[in-house]
Amino acid sequence: MKLHNADKTCWNCPAIDLAGKVDFRACGQSVERFEKSLGEDEVYVMAECKRRPELGLFDPMGITFEECPEWVESPFGYMLRDMRVMIPGIDGYLGWALALWLGRLGFQVSGIDNYSRRDWVMERGAHTVVPIARMTERLQAAREVLGININFRRMDVTDRGRLREFIDEVKPEAIVHYAECPSAPYSMIDADHAVEVQRNNVLGTLGLLFIMRDAVPETSLLKLGTMGEYGTPLTGRPLFEGMFPADAVLHWEGREWSMGGELTPRDPVSFYHVSKVQDTFNIYEACKYWWLRSYDIMQGVIYGVYTEQVVADPRLRTRFDIDEWFGTVINRFVAQAVIGIPLTIYGAGEQMRGFIGLQDAMQCMTRLICSPPEPGQYGVVNQMSGYYSIRELAEVVARVGRRDFDLPVKIQRVENPRVEADRHPFEPIYERLPDEFGFEPQVSPEEEVYRMFELLTRPDIKSRIQQKSHLILPKTWWSGDKRQVETLEIWDEE
Amino acid sequence: MDIAKRRIVIIGLDGMPFGLIRDLAGDGTMIHTKRLIKEGTFRQMASSIPAISSVAWSSVITGVNPGAHGIFGFTDLAPGTYRLTFPNFKSLKASPFWEREGSGRSVILNVPATFPARPLNGVQVAGFVALDLERATYPPSLVPWLKSVNYCVDVDSQAAHQSLDLFLRNLDRTLQARVTAYRYLWDQENWDVFMLVFTGTDRLAHFLWHAYEDEEHRYHAAFLNHLHQVDSVIGEIAQRMADEDALIVLSDHGFEALDSDVYVNFFLREQGFLKVEANPPWRWQDIAQGTLAFALDPARMYVNLQGKYPRGSVRPEDRVSVLEDLADALAALEVNGKKVVRRLYRKEELYDGPWLERAPDLVVLANEGFNLRGSIQARQLYGRGTFTGKHSQADAFLLVRGPRSQEATPDHPCVSDVVGIMDRLRQRRWQ
Repeated sequence: MKLHNADKTCWNCPAIDLAGKVDFRACGQSVERFEKSLGEDEVYVMAECKRRPELGLFDPMGITFEECPEWVESPFGYMLRDMRVMIPGIDGYLGWALALWLGRLGFQVSGIDNYSRRDWVMERGAHTVVPIARMTERLQAAREVLGININFRRMDVTDRGRLREFIDEVKPEAIVHYAECPSAPYSMIDADHAVEVQRNNVLGTLGLLFIMRDAVPETSLLKLGTMGEYGTPLTGRPLFEGMFPADAVLHWEGREWSMGGELTPRDPVSFYHVSKVQDTFNIYEACKYWWLRSYDIMQGVIYGVYTEQVVADPRLRTRFDIDEWFGTVINRFVAQAVIGIPLTIYGAGEQMRGFIGLQDAMQCMTRLICSPPEPGQYGVVNQMSGYYSIRELAEVVARVGRRDFDLPVKIQRVENPRVEADRHPFEPIYERLPDEFGFEPQVSPEEEVYRMFELLTRPDIKSRIQQKSHLILPKTWWSGDKRQVETLEIWDEE
Repeated sequence: MDIAKRRIVIIGLDGMPFGLIRDLAGDGTMIHTKRLIKEGTFRQMASSIPAISSVAWSSVITGVNPGAHGIFGFTDLAPGTYRLTFPNFKSLKASPFWEREGSGRSVILNVPATFPARPLNGVQVAGFVALDLERATYPPSLVPWLKSVNYCVDVDSQAAHQSLDLFLRNLDRTLQARVTAYRYLWDQENWDVFMLVFTGTDRLAHFLWHAYEDEEHRYHAAFLNHLHQVDSVIGEIAQRMADEDALIVLSDHGFEALDSDVYVNFFLREQGFLKVEANPPWRWQDIAQGTLAFALDPARMYVNLQGKYPRGSVRPEDRVSVLEDLADALAALEVNGKKVVRRLYRKEELYDGPWLERAPDLVVLANEGFNLRGSIQARQLYGRGTFTGKHSQADAFLLVRGPRSQEATPDHPCVSDVVGIMDRLRQRRWQ
């Protein structure tokens, strides 16, 4: 069977230097560097391959990944041999897991981090319940256990001078940008926290875009967005993948307009989500102005503890947060179940969300890295393996906990500290990853929840959960209030 | 007895036709050129076939034909594939005159098809197609200075599609920076050969040939003004030269009015020579099994031979009959009641040398006004774009001034004769 990226050409490949656009009709050349040559015959884009300089100057449409010896078959499509991937935010929950995952596949991984995630969690008095090693130990363990050499530099993503130097040195062929604060409640604590989240996220990404323009314009940017950018429109309008499909039409006062290709409305649900929306626009514009190439990945709610690499050694574990600010919902549920606190669902619990397990998220990211966008392309994927109501997920966790771990799991409804609809229609479109990139979910929620229980019921981990159990229930209200939510109802039926 | 070499200055005017420079010298627009014509030997010169700058200038600087220097056009296919490549200076298989033993110190400024620059005894700033100034320049230490004077390899031809006024301003700025660069290098370098090519002349003719032909045209004066400026530089250079220096002024091809673009691959598809997998095709890899022949720009015809191309469909023993059928079909091609083809050349008639195998099997020379194009994407047989001038083959020019210039210059020169002329001019006894 043909691999999903077999027909992509040098036009998509980050190893290409798109040297110039040349108009041979008038013997001349243009200063426009990247404009695609289609449409005007005898106006060609010339390319050089940084990996195969012996090819000279050639038409970048001329060689497919399938034909190029630098692209080798892998379980995730053709993969650029020894591809250099940089992960800003490499110390985080996703960043570390991806670094090990890619390293084992043969990618040359580099990364930066200033440990701000560790600091933010510590500032809230919380901790990762799965202990994680210091970075030096992590790097050493990656070398010893997995044979991976990760080129790490401690730095702040907003330190443009140092980041530029590192990017100049490494010349990454893909950048997976995880160096953002990933918490809605953290951004809603107070003005200082809202400003810090937006400063880090928006300015970090904006600076990175300028650096990419100047240093690595052929590199693809894989930027983590969130399904939360779209909000949950009460009209039931489908949540398309970033843009309206070609046949979408707006009707108004007897007239109609095609909406195809336009960005869909965003309706972020916290100042953190607003920072992600701002990123979306900044990246969209940079792709338009400078022919950068990017996938904006609208990730569903992430959960899980398992990849083959992070379980290979205790020093390789990725972090696992359960506090109200950094614990994602399923992760929090499992922790609550382990220590006998009823799982807390906010409001009616009928909020619908897309979800994806850690291992499946790694698969998606690898497939996207292997199939870079075209110059100038701002592509959006909705990255999720399914969608459920919060209540359904609580029931899955309760079921696995009761059945397989003999835990007396209860579920409670509590006041919803957020401003959101707790009953709403929900129709996410998430077709691109399976259709264009060959993504097939490998892990069901039950399987991954089982793995989480296995780990979290270990006495040492359970004890770490208990130490911070008081930080699980939310006290951060979107209104600005600071008080613990009240229980509305407890269900304990089997 | 010591033998020393005469210094030589070569000034190229890309695309300047013999008739035009003769006329403008005659009417006083190019007064300095007029004087040089009077003092030297002035000839009509044949360009390369095809009359493409990269092919012609490669012949000028190497003294050999494309069969020996290996450059047959701006584009080519990588051997054994339908992958489009863009030959450059690295693809040139023969040595340019400045790399020959005993060539002395050279300044080579803006010669087309010499990108990327490589080390030489002297200085080189490559002409188009040059993708960036850094790689166009040797030694690299010259780059900051070039940038400081806003040196630009070429005028941005895309500007002309937006605004001819902008294009003309661009043309002026590019020329002025080039003049600044030549003056600097002239004074800084202790050169034996100084070669400088003006390429704005070609761009001007592509976009504004009609403005030259029509005295009432709003850009007629602008057209003449650019050439007047170029003439002033020629005059300045001639005046700076020492008495014993020799001067060659030349063009690589001529120009004429463009009446119709004719898309050869569309014709080949219509006639059944070219089969494609996508309709319309958009890249050369779309050439399908069953294809007998295809064309690369401008009208280089290749037989789709078995063993030579991935979907080669013509057995070697059938090559000649395919060429005959192709020649018959092309000879009959008419647009608006006029025959398009003036003459067809088999490669053996045109080329000679180790790279003959890579040469097109058949090259078409068009009748006046027809601009042959090799686009694979063409959706029509003929049309008319924004350009009003096109290259012509027979009427480049050559002007040689120096002792015994007449003896040194053939009566009917062609572009590959220039190196020989230089050799004859340079030798003199040292007193």
